[in-house]
Amino acid sequence: MLSALDISTSALVAQRMRLNAISSNLANMSSVRNENAELAPYQARYVVLQTDDSQGGSQGAAGVKVASVETETVEPRYKYQPGHPLAIKSGQWKDHVAYPQINMTTEFVDALEATRAYEANIGVMEITKNLGLQTLRILA
Amino acid sequence: MAPLTSLGSISTALPLSPGSSAAPKDASSFKNLLLESLDHVNSMQKDADLAVQQLVTGGDANPAEVLTAVQKADLSFRMMMQVRNKLMQAYQEIKDIRI
Amino acid sequence: MSGDIFGPTTIPVLQEVLSFSQARHGVLAGNIANYGTPGYQTRDLSVDTFQQRLKEAIAAKNEQPSYVSPGLMTDEPGDPLKNVSRNMSTILHHDGTNVGLEQQVTEMSKNQMLHNLAITIMSSQFRLLQAAVSERV
Repeated sequence: MLSALDISTSALVAQRMRLNAISSNLANMSSVRNENAELAPYQARYVVLQTDDSQGGSQGAAGVKVASVETETVEPRYKYQPGHPLAIKSGQWKDHVAYPQINMTTEFVDALEATRAYEANIGVMEITKNLGLQTLRILA
Repeated sequence: MAPLTSLGSISTALPLSPGSSAAPKDASSFKNLLLESLDHVNSMQKDADLAVQQLVTGGDANPAEVLTAVQKADLSFRMMMQVRNKLMQAYQEIKDIRI
Repeated sequence: MSGDIFGPTTIPVLQEVLSFSQARHGVLAGNIANYGTPGYQTRDLSVDTFQQRLKEAIAAKNEQPSYVSPGLMTDEPGDPLKNVSRNMSTILHHDGTNVGLEQQVTEMSKNQMLHNLAITIMSSQFRLLQAAVSERV
Protein backbone atom coordinates (compact mmCIF):
# COMPACT_ATOMS: atom_id res chain seq x y z
CA MET A 1 0.00 0.00 0.00
CA LEU A 2 2.84 2.37 0.67
CA SER A 3 3.93 2.11 -2.96
CA ALA A 4 0.73 3.91 -3.91
CA LEU A 5 2.28 7.03 -2.40
CA ASP A 6 5.28 6.64 -4.68
CA ILE A 7 3.06 6.40 -7.72
CA SER A 8 1.20 9.57 -6.79
CA THR A 9 4.49 11.32 -6.19
CA SER A 10 5.75 10.43 -9.65
CA ALA A 11 2.60 11.97 -11.07
CA LEU A 12 3.12 15.14 -9.02
CA VAL A 13 6.66 15.49 -10.30
CA ALA A 14 5.61 14.90 -13.92
CA GLN A 15 2.77 17.44 -13.76
CA ARG A 16 5.04 20.01 -12.19
CA MET A 17 7.56 19.59 -15.00
CA ARG A 18 4.73 20.01 -17.47
CA LEU A 19 3.68 23.20 -15.74
CA ASN A 20 7.27 24.42 -15.90
CA ALA A 21 7.35 23.87 -19.65
CA ILE A 22 4.04 25.71 -20.07
CA SER A 23 5.19 28.66 -18.01
CA SER A 24 8.40 28.89 -19.98
CA ASN A 25 6.32 28.93 -23.19
CA LEU A 26 4.10 31.70 -21.90
CA ALA A 27 7.03 33.71 -20.61
CA ASN A 28 8.75 33.54 -23.99
CA MET A 29 5.71 34.43 -26.04
CA SER A 30 7.40 37.40 -27.59
CA SER A 31 11.01 36.28 -27.59
CA VAL A 32 12.51 37.07 -30.93
CA ARG A 33 15.90 35.56 -30.15
CA ASN A 34 16.42 32.06 -28.87
CA GLU A 35 18.69 31.08 -25.96
CA ASN A 36 21.86 31.33 -28.04
CA ALA A 37 20.98 34.95 -28.91
CA GLU A 38 20.48 33.93 -32.54
CA LEU A 39 17.79 35.49 -34.55
CA ALA A 40 15.48 32.50 -34.39
CA PRO A 41 12.19 32.90 -32.55
CA TYR A 42 11.41 30.80 -29.51
CA GLN A 43 9.93 27.40 -30.23
CA ALA A 44 7.40 25.95 -27.79
CA ARG A 45 8.53 23.13 -25.54
CA TYR A 46 6.42 20.29 -24.33
CA VAL A 47 7.04 17.27 -22.15
CA VAL A 48 6.42 13.70 -23.21
CA LEU A 49 4.96 11.62 -20.40
CA GLN A 50 5.45 7.89 -20.29
CA THR A 51 4.19 5.07 -18.10
CA ASP A 52 6.85 3.91 -15.71
CA ASP A 53 6.68 0.31 -14.56
CA SER A 54 9.61 0.58 -12.20
CA GLN A 55 7.56 1.97 -9.34
CA GLY A 56 5.06 -0.14 -7.50
CA GLY A 57 4.95 -2.53 -10.41
CA SER A 58 4.67 -5.61 -8.23
CA GLN A 59 0.89 -5.57 -8.31
CA GLY A 60 0.53 -4.17 -11.78
CA ALA A 61 0.29 -0.52 -10.81
CA ALA A 62 2.57 1.83 -12.71
CA GLY A 63 3.79 5.33 -12.17
CA VAL A 64 4.55 8.01 -14.70
CA LYS A 65 7.80 9.58 -15.78
CA VAL A 66 8.87 12.32 -18.12
CA ALA A 67 10.39 10.59 -21.13
CA SER A 68 11.79 13.73 -22.72
CA VAL A 69 11.32 17.42 -23.22
CA GLU A 70 10.73 18.10 -26.90
CA THR A 71 10.90 21.33 -28.82
CA GLU A 72 8.42 22.05 -31.50
CA THR A 73 9.44 23.09 -34.95
CA VAL A 74 6.70 25.21 -36.44
CA GLU A 75 6.76 28.16 -38.71
CA PRO A 76 7.12 31.37 -36.76
CA ARG A 77 4.49 34.08 -36.82
CA TYR A 78 5.47 36.92 -39.06
CA LYS A 79 4.52 40.47 -38.25
CA TYR A 80 4.89 43.35 -40.65
CA GLN A 81 7.22 45.88 -39.04
CA PRO A 82 9.26 47.66 -41.73
CA GLY A 83 11.21 49.93 -39.38
CA HIS A 84 12.23 47.20 -36.95
CA PRO A 85 16.02 46.67 -36.72
CA LEU A 86 15.56 42.90 -36.73
CA ALA A 87 13.22 42.77 -39.70
CA ILE A 88 14.04 40.30 -42.43
CA LYS A 89 15.97 41.92 -45.21
CA SER A 90 14.92 39.91 -48.21
CA GLY A 91 12.87 37.02 -49.40
CA GLN A 92 9.19 36.26 -49.16
CA TRP A 93 8.91 37.77 -45.69
CA LYS A 94 10.71 41.04 -46.33
CA ASP A 95 10.21 43.70 -43.64
CA HIS A 96 8.55 41.19 -41.35
CA VAL A 97 9.77 40.22 -37.90
CA ALA A 98 9.54 36.56 -36.83
CA TYR A 99 7.73 36.01 -33.54
CA PRO A 100 7.10 32.71 -31.75
CA GLN A 101 3.99 30.85 -32.76
CA ILE A 102 2.54 30.18 -29.32
CA ASN A 103 -1.17 29.90 -28.81
CA MET A 104 -1.90 31.42 -25.44
CA THR A 105 -5.30 29.75 -25.14
CA THR A 106 -3.91 26.29 -25.72
CA GLU A 107 -1.14 26.84 -23.21
CA PHE A 108 -3.56 28.11 -20.61
CA VAL A 109 -5.91 25.16 -21.03
CA ASP A 110 -2.94 22.82 -20.69
CA ALA A 111 -1.92 24.61 -17.53
CA LEU A 112 -5.40 24.17 -16.12
CA GLU A 113 -5.32 20.47 -16.96
CA ALA A 114 -1.92 20.06 -15.29
CA THR A 115 -3.19 21.86 -12.20
CA ARG A 116 -6.26 19.67 -11.96
CA ALA A 117 -4.14 16.56 -12.38
CA TYR A 118 -1.82 17.79 -9.62
CA GLU A 119 -4.75 18.37 -7.27
CA ALA A 120 -6.28 15.03 -8.14
CA ASN A 121 -3.06 13.24 -7.26
CA ILE A 122 -2.82 15.07 -3.97
CA GLY A 123 -6.39 13.95 -3.25
CA VAL A 124 -5.37 10.37 -3.96
CA MET A 125 -2.48 10.71 -1.54
CA GLU A 126 -4.85 11.91 1.15
CA ILE A 127 -7.03 8.88 0.58
CA THR A 128 -4.03 6.54 0.75
CA LYS A 129 -2.91 8.06 4.03
CA ASN A 130 -6.43 7.74 5.37
CA LEU A 131 -6.48 4.07 4.39
CA GLY A 132 -3.31 3.53 6.35
CA LEU A 133 -4.75 5.21 9.41
CA GLN A 134 -7.99 3.27 9.23
CA THR A 135 -6.08 -0.01 8.91
CA LEU A 136 -4.62 0.63 12.33
CA ARG A 137 -8.09 0.48 13.77
CA ILE A 138 -8.04 -3.29 13.36
CA LEU A 139 -5.89 -3.35 16.46
CA ALA A 140 -6.94 -0.32 18.43
CA MET B 1 -29.60 -32.38 48.68
CA ALA B 2 -30.06 -29.28 46.61
CA PRO B 3 -26.30 -28.53 46.47
CA LEU B 4 -25.54 -32.11 45.36
CA THR B 5 -28.01 -32.05 42.50
CA SER B 6 -26.77 -28.65 41.39
CA LEU B 7 -23.28 -30.17 41.25
CA GLY B 8 -24.61 -32.80 38.88
CA SER B 9 -26.15 -30.15 36.66
CA ILE B 10 -22.83 -28.33 36.48
CA SER B 11 -21.01 -31.39 35.15
CA THR B 12 -23.65 -32.05 32.49
CA ALA B 13 -23.65 -28.40 31.50
CA LEU B 14 -20.01 -28.60 30.40
CA PRO B 15 -20.33 -28.87 26.61
CA LEU B 16 -16.92 -30.41 26.19
CA SER B 17 -16.99 -34.14 25.89
CA PRO B 18 -20.14 -36.00 24.80
CA GLY B 19 -22.00 -37.31 27.85
CA SER B 20 -19.94 -40.26 29.03
CA SER B 21 -20.39 -41.49 32.56
CA ALA B 22 -16.86 -42.88 33.02
CA ALA B 23 -15.03 -40.19 35.02
CA PRO B 24 -11.38 -41.02 34.03
CA LYS B 25 -12.26 -41.00 30.32
CA ASP B 26 -13.91 -37.60 30.69
CA ALA B 27 -10.89 -36.23 32.54
CA SER B 28 -8.32 -37.31 29.92
CA SER B 29 -10.26 -36.03 26.92
CA PHE B 30 -10.86 -32.74 28.66
CA LYS B 31 -7.16 -32.55 29.50
CA ASN B 32 -6.25 -33.24 25.90
CA LEU B 33 -8.65 -30.60 24.74
CA LEU B 34 -7.06 -28.06 27.07
CA LEU B 35 -3.53 -28.92 26.02
CA GLU B 36 -4.42 -28.74 22.34
CA SER B 37 -5.99 -25.35 22.82
CA LEU B 38 -2.89 -24.11 24.60
CA ASP B 39 -0.73 -25.30 21.73
CA HIS B 40 -3.03 -23.66 19.24
CA VAL B 41 -2.95 -20.33 21.05
CA ASN B 42 0.82 -20.52 21.30
CA SER B 43 1.24 -21.24 17.61
CA MET B 44 -1.06 -18.36 16.72
CA GLN B 45 1.08 -16.05 18.84
CA LYS B 46 4.23 -17.27 17.14
CA ASP B 47 2.71 -16.80 13.70
CA ALA B 48 1.66 -13.27 14.57
CA ASP B 49 5.15 -12.46 15.86
CA LEU B 50 6.72 -13.83 12.70
CA ALA B 51 4.34 -11.82 10.54
CA VAL B 52 5.20 -8.62 12.41
CA GLN B 53 8.91 -9.27 12.01
CA GLN B 54 8.49 -9.85 8.29
CA LEU B 55 6.49 -6.68 7.89
CA VAL B 56 9.09 -4.62 9.70
CA THR B 57 12.14 -6.02 7.92
CA GLY B 58 10.73 -5.21 4.54
CA GLY B 59 9.26 -8.54 3.54
CA ASP B 60 6.23 -8.64 1.29
CA ALA B 61 3.68 -8.64 4.08
CA ASN B 62 0.34 -6.94 3.79
CA PRO B 63 -0.17 -4.62 6.80
CA ALA B 64 -3.87 -5.46 7.06
CA GLU B 65 -3.16 -9.19 7.17
CA VAL B 66 -0.46 -8.75 9.79
CA LEU B 67 -2.71 -6.66 12.00
CA THR B 68 -5.51 -9.18 11.64
CA ALA B 69 -3.19 -12.01 12.63
CA VAL B 70 -2.06 -10.06 15.71
CA GLN B 71 -5.64 -9.34 16.70
CA LYS B 72 -6.67 -12.97 16.28
CA ALA B 73 -3.78 -14.11 18.45
CA ASP B 74 -4.76 -11.50 21.04
CA LEU B 75 -8.36 -12.61 21.11
CA SER B 76 -7.61 -16.30 21.38
CA PHE B 77 -5.15 -15.60 24.20
CA ARG B 78 -7.75 -13.62 26.10
CA MET B 79 -10.33 -16.33 25.64
CA MET B 80 -7.88 -18.91 26.98
CA MET B 81 -7.24 -16.59 29.91
CA GLN B 82 -10.95 -16.38 30.63
CA VAL B 83 -11.33 -20.18 30.41
CA ARG B 84 -8.47 -20.50 32.86
CA ASN B 85 -10.11 -18.01 35.24
CA LYS B 86 -13.38 -19.90 35.14
CA LEU B 87 -11.60 -23.17 35.79
CA MET B 88 -9.84 -21.68 38.81
CA GLN B 89 -13.16 -20.37 40.04
CA ALA B 90 -14.78 -23.78 39.62
CA TYR B 91 -11.88 -25.42 41.46
CA GLN B 92 -12.25 -22.94 44.33
CA GLU B 93 -15.92 -23.68 44.59
CA ILE B 94 -15.36 -27.43 44.60
CA LYS B 95 -12.62 -27.07 47.18
CA ASP B 96 -15.00 -25.21 49.46
CA ILE B 97 -17.51 -28.01 49.53
CA ARG B 98 -17.80 -29.22 53.04
CA ILE B 99 -18.38 -32.86 53.31
CA MET C 1 13.63 -10.32 39.29
CA SER C 2 16.21 -10.60 36.57
CA GLY C 3 15.14 -11.87 33.23
CA ASP C 4 13.66 -10.17 30.32
CA ILE C 5 9.97 -10.80 29.91
CA PHE C 6 9.98 -8.76 26.73
CA GLY C 7 12.61 -10.81 24.98
CA PRO C 8 10.35 -13.39 23.33
CA THR C 9 7.90 -10.77 22.11
CA THR C 10 8.28 -8.44 19.17
CA ILE C 11 8.68 -5.44 21.48
CA PRO C 12 12.48 -5.00 21.13
CA VAL C 13 12.19 -5.16 17.35
CA LEU C 14 9.45 -2.57 17.35
CA GLN C 15 11.52 -0.34 19.62
CA GLU C 16 14.28 -0.29 17.04
CA VAL C 17 11.79 0.52 14.30
CA LEU C 18 10.45 3.40 16.37
CA SER C 19 13.86 4.95 17.02
CA PHE C 20 14.71 4.63 13.34
CA SER C 21 11.50 6.27 12.16
CA GLN C 22 11.86 9.12 14.63
CA ALA C 23 15.43 9.78 13.54
CA ARG C 24 14.38 9.68 9.90
CA HIS C 25 11.59 12.13 10.60
CA GLY C 26 14.14 14.61 11.89
CA VAL C 27 16.33 14.24 8.82
CA LEU C 28 13.42 14.66 6.40
CA ALA C 29 12.12 17.68 8.30
CA GLY C 30 15.54 19.23 7.94
CA ASN C 31 15.42 18.62 4.19
CA ILE C 32 12.06 20.33 3.86
CA ALA C 33 13.19 23.22 6.01
CA ASN C 34 16.17 23.74 3.68
CA TYR C 35 14.11 23.51 0.54
CA GLY C 36 15.18 26.78 -1.05
CA THR C 37 18.70 26.91 0.33
CA PRO C 38 21.21 27.13 -2.49
CA GLY C 39 23.77 24.38 -2.58
CA TYR C 40 21.93 22.21 -0.08
CA GLN C 41 22.06 18.47 -0.61
CA THR C 42 19.23 16.37 0.68
CA ARG C 43 20.02 13.62 3.16
CA ASP C 44 18.14 10.50 4.06
CA LEU C 45 18.37 7.47 6.29
CA SER C 46 18.31 4.46 4.06
CA VAL C 47 15.30 2.28 4.85
CA ASP C 48 16.68 -0.72 3.00
CA THR C 49 19.92 -0.75 4.98
CA PHE C 50 18.01 -0.47 8.23
CA GLN C 51 15.69 -3.33 7.34
CA GLN C 52 18.63 -5.48 6.28
CA ARG C 53 20.42 -4.85 9.55
CA LEU C 54 17.28 -5.52 11.53
CA LYS C 55 16.81 -8.83 9.76
CA GLU C 56 20.40 -9.83 10.54
CA ALA C 57 20.05 -8.79 14.17
CA ILE C 58 16.87 -10.82 14.57
CA ALA C 59 18.56 -13.86 13.03
CA ALA C 60 21.57 -13.41 15.30
CA LYS C 61 19.38 -13.16 18.34
CA ASN C 62 17.43 -16.25 17.39
CA GLU C 63 20.60 -18.23 16.93
CA GLN C 64 21.84 -17.71 20.41
CA PRO C 65 22.57 -21.00 22.12
CA SER C 66 19.38 -22.76 23.01
CA TYR C 67 20.46 -23.79 26.46
CA VAL C 68 19.97 -20.23 27.56
CA SER C 69 16.27 -20.10 28.33
CA PRO C 70 14.64 -16.93 27.04
CA GLY C 71 13.86 -15.83 30.54
CA LEU C 72 17.54 -15.31 31.25
CA MET C 73 18.41 -13.06 28.33
CA THR C 74 18.95 -9.53 29.49
CA ASP C 75 19.35 -6.19 27.78
CA GLU C 76 23.11 -6.23 27.52
CA PRO C 77 25.10 -3.86 25.36
CA GLY C 78 26.06 -6.82 23.21
CA ASP C 79 22.42 -7.39 22.35
CA PRO C 80 22.45 -7.35 18.57
CA LEU C 81 19.16 -5.52 18.35
CA LYS C 82 20.51 -2.57 20.28
CA ASN C 83 23.41 -2.14 17.93
CA VAL C 84 21.13 -1.46 15.02
CA SER C 85 20.04 1.92 16.32
CA ARG C 86 23.44 2.88 17.69
CA ASN C 87 25.03 2.59 14.29
CA MET C 88 22.42 4.65 12.57
CA SER C 89 24.92 7.34 11.72
CA THR C 90 26.52 5.02 9.21
CA ILE C 91 23.40 4.73 7.12
CA LEU C 92 22.95 8.48 6.79
CA HIS C 93 23.95 9.36 3.29
CA HIS C 94 23.96 12.38 1.08
CA ASP C 95 21.62 11.85 -1.76
CA GLY C 96 23.49 12.75 -4.91
CA THR C 97 20.40 14.03 -6.68
CA ASN C 98 18.54 16.94 -5.23
CA VAL C 99 15.12 15.45 -4.89
CA GLY C 100 12.18 17.79 -4.93
CA LEU C 101 9.63 18.82 -2.39
CA GLU C 102 7.03 16.25 -3.38
CA GLN C 103 9.39 13.35 -2.76
CA GLN C 104 10.38 14.66 0.65
CA VAL C 105 6.78 15.04 1.74
CA THR C 106 5.94 11.58 0.43
CA GLU C 107 8.84 10.01 2.29
CA MET C 108 7.69 11.78 5.41
CA SER C 109 4.15 10.41 4.99
CA LYS C 110 5.44 6.89 4.50
CA ASN C 111 7.65 7.25 7.53
CA GLN C 112 4.73 8.45 9.57
CA MET C 113 2.61 5.49 8.55
CA LEU C 114 5.38 3.09 9.52
CA HIS C 115 5.74 4.85 12.87
CA ASN C 116 2.02 4.64 13.62
CA LEU C 117 1.98 0.98 12.66
CA ALA C 118 4.87 0.16 15.00
CA ILE C 119 3.28 2.07 17.87
CA THR C 120 -0.08 0.40 17.41
CA ILE C 121 1.39 -3.09 17.39
CA MET C 122 3.62 -2.33 20.35
CA SER C 123 0.81 -0.97 22.47
CA SER C 124 -1.35 -4.00 21.73
CA GLN C 125 1.54 -6.24 22.83
CA PHE C 126 1.82 -4.30 26.07
CA ARG C 127 -1.88 -4.63 26.69
CA LEU C 128 -1.65 -8.36 26.14
CA LEU C 129 1.18 -8.67 28.65
CA GLN C 130 -0.83 -6.65 31.12
CA ALA C 131 -3.79 -8.97 30.68
CA ALA C 132 -1.51 -11.94 31.34
CA VAL C 133 0.06 -10.36 34.41
CA SER C 134 -3.08 -9.03 36.01
CA GLU C 135 -5.13 -12.14 35.20
CA ARG C 136 -7.87 -9.78 34.25
CA VAL C 137 -8.89 -10.13 30.62
